[in-house]
Amino acid sequence: MPAEIEVIDLCRRFGTTRAVDGISFRVARGELFAFLGPNGAGKTTTINLLTGLLSPDRGRIRYRGEDFDPGRLAVKKMIGVVPQHNNLDKELTVRENLRVHGRLFGLGGRELSERINFCLDFAALNEKRDTPAGKLSGGMKRKLVIARALLHQPAILFLDEPTVGLDPHSRRRMWAFLRRINQEQQCTVFLTTHYIEEADSLADRVLIIDRARIIAEGTPAELKQQAGHFVLDIYREEALDNEFFTTREAALERLKQLEMSVRIRETTLEDVFLRLTGKRLEA
Amino acid sequence: MLNGVRGIYLREILILRKKLVKTVLSAAVSPGLFLIAFGYGIGNNARVDGLSYLAFLLPGLLTMSSMNQSYGIATEINIARFYFKVFEEYLLAPIRRWEIVVGEMGYGITRGLIPMLVIAFYSLLCGVQLHFGPLFLLALLLHLGIFALLGLVVALLVRNHSDQATMNAFLITPIMFLSGTFFPVAQMPLPVRLLAALSPLTYSTRLIRSTLLPGVTVETGLFPVLLIMLVGLFLLAGRVVARVQA
Ligand SMILES: Nc1ncnc2c1ncn2[C@@H]1O[C@H](COP(=O)(O)OP(=O)(O)OP(=O)(O)O)[C@@H](O)[C@H]1O
Ligand SMILES: [Mg+2]
Repeated sequence: MPAEIEVIDLCRRFGTTRAVDGISFRVARGELFAFLGPNGAGKTTTINLLTGLLSPDRGRIRYRGEDFDPGRLAVKKMIGVVPQHNNLDKELTVRENLRVHGRLFGLGGRELSERINFCLDFAALNEKRDTPAGKLSGGMKRKLVIARALLHQPAILFLDEPTVGLDPHSRRRMWAFLRRINQEQQCTVFLTTHYIEEADSLADRVLIIDRARIIAEGTPAELKQQAGHFVLDIYREEALDNEFFTTREAALERLKQLEMSVRIRETTLEDVFLRLTGKRLEA
Repeated sequence: MLNGVRGIYLREILILRKKLVKTVLSAAVSPGLFLIAFGYGIGNNARVDGLSYLAFLLPGLLTMSSMNQSYGIATEINIARFYFKVFEEYLLAPIRRWEIVVGEMGYGITRGLIPMLVIAFYSLLCGVQLHFGPLFLLALLLHLGIFALLGLVVALLVRNHSDQATMNAFLITPIMFLSGTFFPVAQMPLPVRLLAALSPLTYSTRLIRSTLLPGVTVETGLFPVLLIMLVGLFLLAGRVVARVQA
């Protein structure tokens, strides 16, 4: 079976800035795929390229084995997009926002009302159906944008930082919601994030992007395994050092040799990123 | 069929409905003020082009304020595009790009019809007889289509919101005053007459004035002129909209 999404050597510049510089990856059908990277890494640019909002300078994008041509309308029906910034019509009610989207995607009549009702239920927004979108809470707005993207039953859902601006509690609820979309709606999910935890606990596979290039790829467990499953936080006078070990025994052995304050813990994706780039993800 | 046209038109009309009262009232203010300032200032005894000044002025106010309404979609599209990013919804939808042009043009035309009602009301107040017949409607549709398309093209060409404001100041304000809406172009000095000759509003005002006033011969020769402008702008808008990226 061809990959759901295949990207080969994709490049895009703005002036002299390389926003995306020769990235390649594959996303399998049904996967929940996370694109993890700091601010300015090129996440939004990648989504814009994948959804046809930007044209690449170089490289190929293939959906299910076919070259992506944004002029072909069929492929656009396959895609749902949740942009980084909620682009709702604030004056329009929740339902009206969905109705307009449905119309643009060729839904009408009973089919459209049924889809709207389904999505309102699915996103638990039914009570707010007649509220202007501008009056919703941040979490609800985000959910509405997601519900809107699901309205035309896309096979692939792109989400650009779906939980940005949500409190920790809402963020966890959003994760559960995204898992349900992935499982119940059988949707391939491609999300970007700069939250390590989010990629770690949510994604089947993670790709780490930094300064327009991919620096690591794998399941969260694989990535941590590669760095070393255990890490020592060594509190030296000037700075905090990390050392990585594949086994707990090796880590403990090292710990005994050290005189300063040391903590042993399991490796996180943050450590992976730090190890590869020498800087923290959330600076 | 035409999901894009219908979707975009639906969106714009739903929004227009929410602020209809505000839109109608604000569409009434500026022609009302011009009517008071020029109408009383110059007085109804003055005759222009063989007409009473008010009879000359009212059709001009109609074309001016309907132009402002239909061209005014530019600012809205601009905000939707750069500030709220709603325009991305259109770009992501499985629709043809020219459908965006038709949908927005339809919206601009619809908005441009509001001043017609306003001016009809004012003409009753002033006791000036205007004749809203089929030729007038046809001319008005061409006129509104032209300025809606112009608004769309400008909104898509500018790079940010402040450029939009600049364009409005340098394009629409001169067009508004120099196109024979308040005074006949023939009275103006040569440079102004040359500028006026470039302004679509000059032609639509002449045509619409001639269709509105009873007893004046309709300048039918201007229909093809407006039609050519409309088609030209439509093709231009199609090209511009095809190039738009996020
Ligand atoms: N339209 C544009 N014009 C000029 N430069 C741009 C444009 N869009 C993006 N860039 C630049 O390209 C780089 C990548 O930006 P991008 O928005 O893709 O990053 P990101 O990973 O989404 O970041 P964030 O987490 O802040 O959203 C940045 O250096 C950015 O300044
Ligand atoms: Mg981004």
